[in-house]
Amino acid sequence: MADAARLALIHAEIDGELDARQRAELARSLLADPETRALREDLKRLCTALDGVEQVEPPAQLLTNVLAALPRSHPMPAQSWWSATVWRYAATLAGVLVTGAIVFALLDGQRPAATDVAGTLAGQRAATTLDTVQLSDGPVAGRVTLTRDGADLGLRLELRASAPVDVFVAGGGYTFRINGLGRQDGPDAGRRTVALPGFRMDGQAVNLTFLMAGQEVGRATLKAKTGQ
Amino acid sequence: MNEEDDGTLVRRCRDGDRAAFEQLVIRYQKAVYNAALRLLRDAEEARDVAQTTFLKVFEHLADYDPSFKFYSWIYRIAVNESLNVLGRRRPHEQISGEEADGAPGPDRLIEGQEARRAIEDALMRISPELRTVIVLRHFMHLSYQDMGEILVLPEKTVKSRLYSARQLLRDSLVQHGAT
Repeated sequence: MADAARLALIHAEIDGELDARQRAELARSLLADPETRALREDLKRLCTALDGVEQVEPPAQLLTNVLAALPRSHPMPAQSWWSATVWRYAATLAGVLVTGAIVFALLDGQRPAATDVAGTLAGQRAATTLDTVQLSDGPVAGRVTLTRDGADLGLRLELRASAPVDVFVAGGGYTFRINGLGRQDGPDAGRRTVALPGFRMDGQAVNLTFLMAGQEVGRATLKAKTGQ
Repeated sequence: MNEEDDGTLVRRCRDGDRAAFEQLVIRYQKAVYNAALRLLRDAEEARDVAQTTFLKVFEHLADYDPSFKFYSWIYRIAVNESLNVLGRRRPHEQISGEEADGAPGPDRLIEGQEARRAIEDALMRISPELRTVIVLRHFMHLSYQDMGEILVLPEKTVKSRLYSARQLLRDSLVQHGAT
């Protein structure tokens, strides 16, 4: 018997997946080959040991931390087929109208001269402040600013605290964690600027939960308001 | 009182019932934490992965497709988070298997603490992908079908990976053991 086939039979036997024919085939191989017998014993012993490794209890504060870090808003039910279809059609229609308008404008000679639009794009790349929260009453103090750079949202954290701070960021279906702000000494220890990829500027809240040594010590909510 | 099934709790969560989400965390926190712990072998990272997993579950509940098992979905998030953490570790941060030198061979593997440690050492010497199938099969006691759902792989591939993982684990234990 080829090695791979013999091995597959041994593994399948361990997993309780052999039929009568395969069992007989394996039995013949075991009788004929001491090496196969030794290998089978090794693998069986290994799997018994693996199955016997006991689970450990999770940290006591895990549940508390998870619940503390949940965003205030609750998850929305998934869109129904009907509403998803309606939005798809609406988006297609909007696309057709926009394309039509552009084509019409071009054919109608409405395109502005290059000098009319020169320089109007440059200013859009500067980061704009959308919302700011001051933190003062608690173990974490400082300021958090929500910014916009082009189409991208970002978060600027300027925090002061007596111990390293972890920040859970949640909003618009995205969650991530910033670990150990202020872990090193120095004036910039509590400063961090992070991008918020995937976060949308549609009025959705960006929820922050501040944790020290795994315990919640504060919360803040910022909003990227529509039209800013 | 009868325990509510996962589907009912998920529906309650979607309606804004945080107590239902708490029930889900209580139900799965041990499995999720242990899966991360076995994959990462770092208690602090495992705790972070477990927290992030539950937060992602909450944030994405609206995207959850009830035609799949809820636990497959949550374990998939936990496994992916753990693999992301492993991917971010710099080479010198990888847990090395050197401490396992002189560990017992498979003929002594059934002996308690020493055996557990030898297995954990050997696990860290195989690739994260192979470690994952061992964790799902032997520590979480999942079927091939569930493993395929979690890893988004055909059952045949899952089996093949599992066989390779066991073989490498066994070889590693022999190589580092007294036999």
